[in-house]
Amino acid sequence: MTEKIDLDNIPEAAIVPKKRMRFSVVWIIPIVAALVAIGIAVQRILSEGPTITIVFKAAEGVEAGKTFVKYNDVNIGEVKTVRLSEDFTKVVVTAKIDKSAEGLIVEDAEFWVEKPRVTLSGVSGIGTLLTGNFIGLKMGKSKRPRHNFIGRDVPPAITMDQPGRIFILQADNLGSVGIGSPLYYRRLNVGQVIGYDLAGDGKALHIKIFVNAPYDKYVTNETRFWEASGIDVTMGASGINVDTQSVVSMLVGGIAFETPSLLKELKPADANAAFTLFRNRATAMAEHETVITPYVLYFNESLLGLSVGAPVTYRGLPVGEVTAVGLEYDQAKDFIHPRVDIQLYPARFMAHVKKSAALEEQARSESGRHVFMQKLIDKGVRAQLRSGNILTGQLYVAFDNFRGVPKVKIDWTKTPAELPVMPSGLEDLKTKINDVLARIDKIPLNAIGEDMKKLLAGLDGMVKRVDREVLPELKTTLDALKHVLKSTDATLVGKDAPAQQEMREALQEVRRAAQAVSGLVDYLERNPEALVRGKTQEKSK
Amino acid sequence: MSTGVPTGITSGFVSCEACGLLTKPVNVHEPGHCPRCGGKLELRRHNTIQRTWALIIAAAICYIPANVMPVMVTSTLTSVEEDTIISGAVLLYKYGSWHLALIVLIASVMIPLAKLAALAYLLITVQRNSIKDQRERTRLYRLVEFVGRWSMLDIFVVTFVVALIQLQPLMSVKPGLGSLFFASVVVLTMIAAETFDSRLIWDSSNCKEEQND
Repeated sequence: MTEKIDLDNIPEAAIVPKKRMRFSVVWIIPIVAALVAIGIAVQRILSEGPTITIVFKAAEGVEAGKTFVKYNDVNIGEVKTVRLSEDFTKVVVTAKIDKSAEGLIVEDAEFWVEKPRVTLSGVSGIGTLLTGNFIGLKMGKSKRPRHNFIGRDVPPAITMDQPGRIFILQADNLGSVGIGSPLYYRRLNVGQVIGYDLAGDGKALHIKIFVNAPYDKYVTNETRFWEASGIDVTMGASGINVDTQSVVSMLVGGIAFETPSLLKELKPADANAAFTLFRNRATAMAEHETVITPYVLYFNESLLGLSVGAPVTYRGLPVGEVTAVGLEYDQAKDFIHPRVDIQLYPARFMAHVKKSAALEEQARSESGRHVFMQKLIDKGVRAQLRSGNILTGQLYVAFDNFRGVPKVKIDWTKTPAELPVMPSGLEDLKTKINDVLARIDKIPLNAIGEDMKKLLAGLDGMVKRVDREVLPELKTTLDALKHVLKSTDATLVGKDAPAQQEMREALQEVRRAAQAVSGLVDYLERNPEALVRGKTQEKSK
Repeated sequence: MSTGVPTGITSGFVSCEACGLLTKPVNVHEPGHCPRCGGKLELRRHNTIQRTWALIIAAAICYIPANVMPVMVTSTLTSVEEDTIISGAVLLYKYGSWHLALIVLIASVMIPLAKLAALAYLLITVQRNSIKDQRERTRLYRLVEFVGRWSMLDIFVVTFVVALIQLQPLMSVKPGLGSLFFASVVVLTMIAAETFDSRLIWDSSNCKEEQND
C-alpha cells in the first residue's frame, strides 16, 4: 500500500485547536537568570567594604591576594595589590576591608606589617611563620573614615586600648633599651618602652614609655628613672657594688623607676611628662643639687685610682664629687699638670652643719660662698688625694685642715676657681722620710768618731790613775772603819754590854708605868665621876 | 515567493521533526500531528525566535557572573585563593604555559561569547529576512551546535579537581559560584542552539507572514 506514493492520498492532519500564547514561557529563564545575577551583584555591592591604600617603607612578605589585614588575629580584609610608589621609594599596598570591619578604618588607625619577632621579652607574631606575614591594624579613636594611610615600620607596642599613660625619658644614648623593653617598679613589670627617637638637634634621645594603668599613678613629678639594663658593676671608693633588676632585664635591658621616699610634694605626673633617664639607680636616686659650685684642683701627683664620681669629703663627710679627671697644659710653665674638676654641693655641706642658720644665709649668695670658702682656705683647709680603699686603690678628694700652710688667695675671676691642694698622705710621708734621710746625711759621722776616740783614750788614762793612786788609800780607810765597827759592837751589842743592861732596866720602868695607867683607865671607866669627885673609899675589897 | 530555494512551506508539505515523515499540514497555522508517530507537526518551530532570544539573553546574563565570580576556591593551610576563569588563564600565562592559557581563554571565554554572538547574529538576520550568506549562516549554525558541548570542558575540570583534591587540613578545592553560572551559560547556549530553527535561514526569501507567528 505504501509502495506507491499517491500524493493525492496523503492524509490530512487533524486540527487540534489551541490557545496561543503571545509570549513564550521561556522568557522566565532569562528573567530568573537576571534576578539571580542581580541578586548576587547587589549582595556583593552591599557587602563591599572600603578599599584602602597603605604606604609602607617596606612590605616584606606582603603579597596580593595572599596577605590579610588582621585585627586581633581576625581577618578583616585582604591585600589586593602591591606596587611601588611613583618615585619608587615606597610600597603602596591596597587592601579591601570587609564591610563588617568598616568601622575600624578610621582616621587614626595604624597599620604595620606583622612578622615574626623574637625577643627575649617575648615572642610576637609567631603565627606568621606559618601563615605568612600579615598587616596588623591598631584601632583608632576617631569616628571619621579614611582611606589612605601611612604604614608604621614597627608594630605599636600597645595594640589594645590599654589604660595607662605615656611618659618621655631623655637619655644620652639608648643603652640596651629597645622597643618592648620592660619597665620595672619595685621589680614588678609595669609597662614597656614603646618607641624612641632622636631629639631635634640629635644630641639626646627621647624614649617613650608606657606605664600600665594601675601603676601609672606611681609616676610622680619627682620620680626618677634609670636604666636597669644588664649587670651594673661599679667599683668605687666604697667597694664593689653589683646591681641588677631581673634576669630578663639583664638580658634584654629595661628601665626601672622609683620615687625618693623623703620627698614630700608628690603629685602624679601628667601624661607625656618628660623625665631624665639616669645611668643607674645610685645616680638616679642621688639628691639632685640645686646649687653646684665647681672648682678645679691641680695635684702634682698620680691620679691613678681617681675616677669620675669619686666623693669629695670635708673631714670625712661627703660634700661633692669629682666630675672630671684629666691633664691641663700650663703654657706659662710649659708643663702638663694633672687636673681634677670637682663639684661641691653647698646644700649637702650645710646638711652636716648644726646651728647653721647664719651660715646658710651666707651660703645663699655666691659672694657669701666665696667669702666662706676663702675663710676655710685661710684656716688651713686644703684638698688632698686619699686612698679610700686599700684593696681597690680608689682615691677620693678630701678637704682637711693642715697646720703651717702658707696663705692662699682664691682667684674668683677664673671659673672654676682653683683651690689649693696638699700632697697626699703617702706623698707627704715620702717627702718626710726623704727629709730625714737628708738630715742624717748631713750629720758629720766621721768627726764624731774621731772625737769619740779621743774621749775614750782620755777615759782610759783616768781609769789607770785611779787604779794606781786611789785604791791603796781606800784599803787603809776600810781597815780603820772595820776597827771602829768592832769596838762599837762590844759596847752596844755584846751580851753583858753596859748599854744593854741600862736599856733593859729602863724598859721595865716603862712597863710598870704602863700598868699603872692601865689601872687608872680601868677605874675611870667604871667610876667616871672620880674625875670630878676624886677617888671614893672602897668598903669591900 | 520570489526566487529562492523551495522549502516545505512553499511546496505545501511539512516533515515530522521526530520521525521525518513528510506530511501535508492541515493548514498553515495548525499543521496538526504526525500520523505515524503522533508528534506535533510544526511548519516552523513555534516561537523559535522568541525562545532563542530568551535563552540567549539568559545566557548573556549568566555570562557576566560566570566570568566575574570565582569558579574554583582553593584553600590551603595558609591562604584561601579564589580563581575566576580569567585569573586562571592569567596565572597559566604567568607560569609560562601561554598555550594552555590560550586554550582556556578560547574555550572558556571566547567560545561562549562567540556562540552568543553567532546566535544573536543568526536571529537578527532571520528577523530581518536577510538573504545574504544563507549557506554560510547555516554552516555557522552547525558550528555553534557542534562546538557547544566542548565548552563544558571547564566544568569537567572543576568537577574533577574538586573531587580529587580534598586533602582536608592541607588543601581543598571547592567549586565557586562562577562555575554554576558558567555551566548555565553553556547549557543555555546549547539549548538556544537547539531551539533555533535553522530552516528559518532559508525562509527569508519567502513571504514574511508565513515564517512565524
